[in-house]
Amino acid sequence: MSCPDFLKGWFVVRRELPGSRKALLTTLSFLMPIALWCIVSYVPFIWHPDIKLTLAANTERISGVFTAGNRLSRDYFPQYVEAVRLDNKETIAARAAGTATPGAKRANRLLLRQLAPVAIDNGWLPRGEEQNDALLYQLWGDLATGKKIALTPKLSADNLAIARENWAILSASSPVFESSKLPDQLLLKLIPQGIPSNPVYLPPPHEVIQAGWRDFQAPRVGENPTMGERYQHSIRIILFGFIWSCIVGVPLGILGGVYDFFSRLIGPFVDFFRYMPAPTFSTLLVAVLSAHDAPKVALVFLGTVFQMILIVSKTTRLLDPALLEAAQTLGAKPRQMITHVVLPGILPNLYNDLRILLGWAWTWLVIAELIGVKSGLTGFLDTQGTFRNFDRVFPVIILIGLTGFVTDQILAFFHGVFFPWAGTSGPVSRAISNVVAWPVRNLLQYTRRINAPSDLP
Amino acid sequence: MKLLSRFGSLALGLLALCGTLHAEPLKIAYSDWPGWIAWEIGVQKGWFKEEGVDVEFLWFDYVPSMDAYVAGKVDAVCMTNGDALVTGATGKPSVGILINDYSNGNDMIVAAPGISSIKDLKGKKVGIEEGFVEHLLLLTGLEKNGLKPSDVTIVNTPTGETPQVLASKAVDAIGAWQPNSGQALKALPGSKPVFTSADAPGIIYDLLYVSPESLQKNKAEWAKVVKVWYKIAAYMKDEDNLDDALKILSGRVNLKPEEYEPFLKGTHILSYEEALKTWEKADDLKSVYGSTKNVNAFNLKCEVYKDSQDAEKYLDPSLTKALAPAK
Repeated sequence: MSCPDFLKGWFVVRRELPGSRKALLTTLSFLMPIALWCIVSYVPFIWHPDIKLTLAANTERISGVFTAGNRLSRDYFPQYVEAVRLDNKETIAARAAGTATPGAKRANRLLLRQLAPVAIDNGWLPRGEEQNDALLYQLWGDLATGKKIALTPKLSADNLAIARENWAILSASSPVFESSKLPDQLLLKLIPQGIPSNPVYLPPPHEVIQAGWRDFQAPRVGENPTMGERYQHSIRIILFGFIWSCIVGVPLGILGGVYDFFSRLIGPFVDFFRYMPAPTFSTLLVAVLSAHDAPKVALVFLGTVFQMILIVSKTTRLLDPALLEAAQTLGAKPRQMITHVVLPGILPNLYNDLRILLGWAWTWLVIAELIGVKSGLTGFLDTQGTFRNFDRVFPVIILIGLTGFVTDQILAFFHGVFFPWAGTSGPVSRAISNVVAWPVRNLLQYTRRINAPSDLP
Repeated sequence: MKLLSRFGSLALGLLALCGTLHAEPLKIAYSDWPGWIAWEIGVQKGWFKEEGVDVEFLWFDYVPSMDAYVAGKVDAVCMTNGDALVTGATGKPSVGILINDYSNGNDMIVAAPGISSIKDLKGKKVGIEEGFVEHLLLLTGLEKNGLKPSDVTIVNTPTGETPQVLASKAVDAIGAWQPNSGQALKALPGSKPVFTSADAPGIIYDLLYVSPESLQKNKAEWAKVVKVWYKIAAYMKDEDNLDDALKILSGRVNLKPEEYEPFLKGTHILSYEEALKTWEKADDLKSVYGSTKNVNAFNLKCEVYKDSQDAEKYLDPSLTKALAPAK
C-alpha cells in the first residue's frame, strides 16, 4: 500500500514546499472561501431564510415601501401578499360601488410601472427605462394577450389574471399610452412575487459581480463622482497622509534610534500620544482644517506617524552593533556613522517597516473619509450600507482588499530589486536590480578612477 | 505711454483681485431631509447660475452639518427651527430667512414589532440623536401620552445609523426622519411608526439658517437664493414634473423614485402664499414664531440649554416678503 506521489511530502516539519505546490496552495487559499460562498448562496436547501422580491407592490396597509430586490423574512412575506390582496378587494368593491378615487391617474401610472422589474429581468426593458410608460403599457397588453410570456421570473396565474383584467380596462380606454386617458378608477395591483434568498448581507456572488460592474461603469451623475474618481480620491488621501508621516516619522525615528538623547526626549510623549485613538481628534481636525481633504489626510497622518516613529527607532536600534564598532575603529565621525553606516544598514528593514505601515495607514482610511464631507470609496460604502445595498458594498470592500494585497506584493517584489543583498530576491528581481545597477556601478567606478589621483597626498 | 500701461496693468490686477474676492461662493450645508434634498433640483437644473448667484451646496449628515456651521466652515445650514435654537444657545446664532416646509409625518418614532403605541415604550430603549429634533418629537409624544421623559432610556444614535440599530434589536424604538425612518421600517419588517410629526403638526419647521455676518454682507445674493427656492417649490407642485423631480431627489439619497414618492406627503413644502402666512407673528403652531417659542419653552424645561432664546432674533422674513409673488 503505497501513497501516490502527489500526496507525499505536504507535511514536512520546517521545510519549504516546492514552487508548484506553493502556487497551488495560494490559489486554494482564495478559492476555498469563494467556494464556501457559492455553496451557501446556490444550494437551495442551505439556509435561505428570506424571500427576495422579484415583483413588488406598494400598499399602505404595511409600513415600509418595498421594491423589487428587497428581502423579507419568510414569515412576513405572506402578510405582505395578504395586504396587497386586501387592497385589490377594496378596489373591486369601490369599482362596484362606483366611487371615484382621488389621484387615481397618478396611482395607475405607478401601478403600470409595477411591471418594470419583471420586464427588465425578462430583457424586454433596458435598465434605467423604469419610467418608460409607453413601452410598459404595451407590455401589459402583450402579457394579457399572451403575445409575450414571462419566463425569468414567471408571472403567477393570479398575476396573469390580473394583467388580463387590467388590460381589459386599459385597452377599452386607449390602445397606446396616453396619460390623460388613464382610467379614473384604480386598476388592480399585481400580487408580490419572490424567490428564496439569503439575508441581504450575504448576496450571491453573481449579484455582487453584476452590481460592481454596473457601479464601476456608471457615468457621473450631478455632483456624485464616479467610482474611478472615488478610488483615486481614496488613494490620494492615503498617499498624502502616508507621505507626510514618512517626512516626519522616519527622521525622528532614526534620530531616536541612534541617540539616547532623542529617544528620551521624544519617546515618552510618542508612547503617550500613541494610545489616544486618532478618530477622537476628528471633530477637532474638521474645526481646524475645514471640511474637505485636509482633516482626512491629517487623520491618516496622526494615526500612522506615532507608530512609525516607534517602529523605525526600534529597527534602527536593532542594527548590528559590530558594524558601528567597526566604523568607529576605522575613524568614522558621528555624522558619517549615520549617513554611511546606519542608513544603508537599516534600509532593507526600514523598507519593510514602511510597507507594513502603509497597510496600517489603509486601516485609517475608512474613518478618515467619514469625517467632514463624506468622500471617496468609504463615502459610497457608508451610503450604500445605510441603505442595505450590500451587493454594492462588497465589490468596494474587495477592491480595497485587492489594492492593499497587490500593492504589498509589488512592494515586496521591489524589496528584492532594491536590496539584492538582503537575500529576499528571486531570480527576476535580482536580474532587474543587476540591469538597473549596471550603469550606476560603472559610473561610480569611473568617477572613482578620475578622483583617485587627487586623493593621494 | 509706459506709465499709462503700468497703471493699466495695475488696474487690471486690482480688478482681478476684486474678482477673486467676490468669487467666494455662498456655502450652504444641507442634509437628507426631503425638504432640503429639494435644493438639489435647483442645483441640477442650473437655476442658481441662471439667477446669477454663486452657491456651493455641501452634503453632510444632519448633525455634522450643524457642526460645520458652528465651526464657521459654511455660511448657511438647513436646520429645524428647534435645532437652530440649540445650535444658537450652545454654539453660534443664525437667522432663518426661508421656510422650506413643515414636517407632516416624515419625522417618526419607529417601534419594533410588538410595540403598538407610544405608551408601550415605558421602560424601553429608544435610539435617537440626543438634544436634536427627534428628541423633541419623542418627548412631545411622551408628554401627550402622559409619560415622563425619564420613562424611556435614550440611546444616543446618529440618525443615519438608526435603521441598522433598530434591525439589530439593540433598541426597542428609534427616532428618525425620512429617508432614514423608511429604511428602518424596511430593515425590520413589521415595525411601525408609533408617533409622527403628523400627530403634532407645527412643532417642526425646516428652514434655511444663514450666519448673521453673511446675511449682512451678501443680502442681495441671499435674496436670489430665496427666489430660486420658490422656483423649486413651484416646480415640485406641478404633477407633470413629478417623475423628473423624483428622479433627481431620489438620486441624491440613492433611492428608487417609487420609494421616494411616499415622502412627498410627509414633508409639506410651503408654497409662497403659505409661507407668507407662516411668517405672520402669532403664538400658535401655525406661525413659525409660535412654533419656535414653543420649542424654546420645551428646550428650557428639558434643560437642553439654560438661557431662554429670543425667537425673533432667529427669524427674518424680510427676504421672503420682498420677493414679488411668483408671476
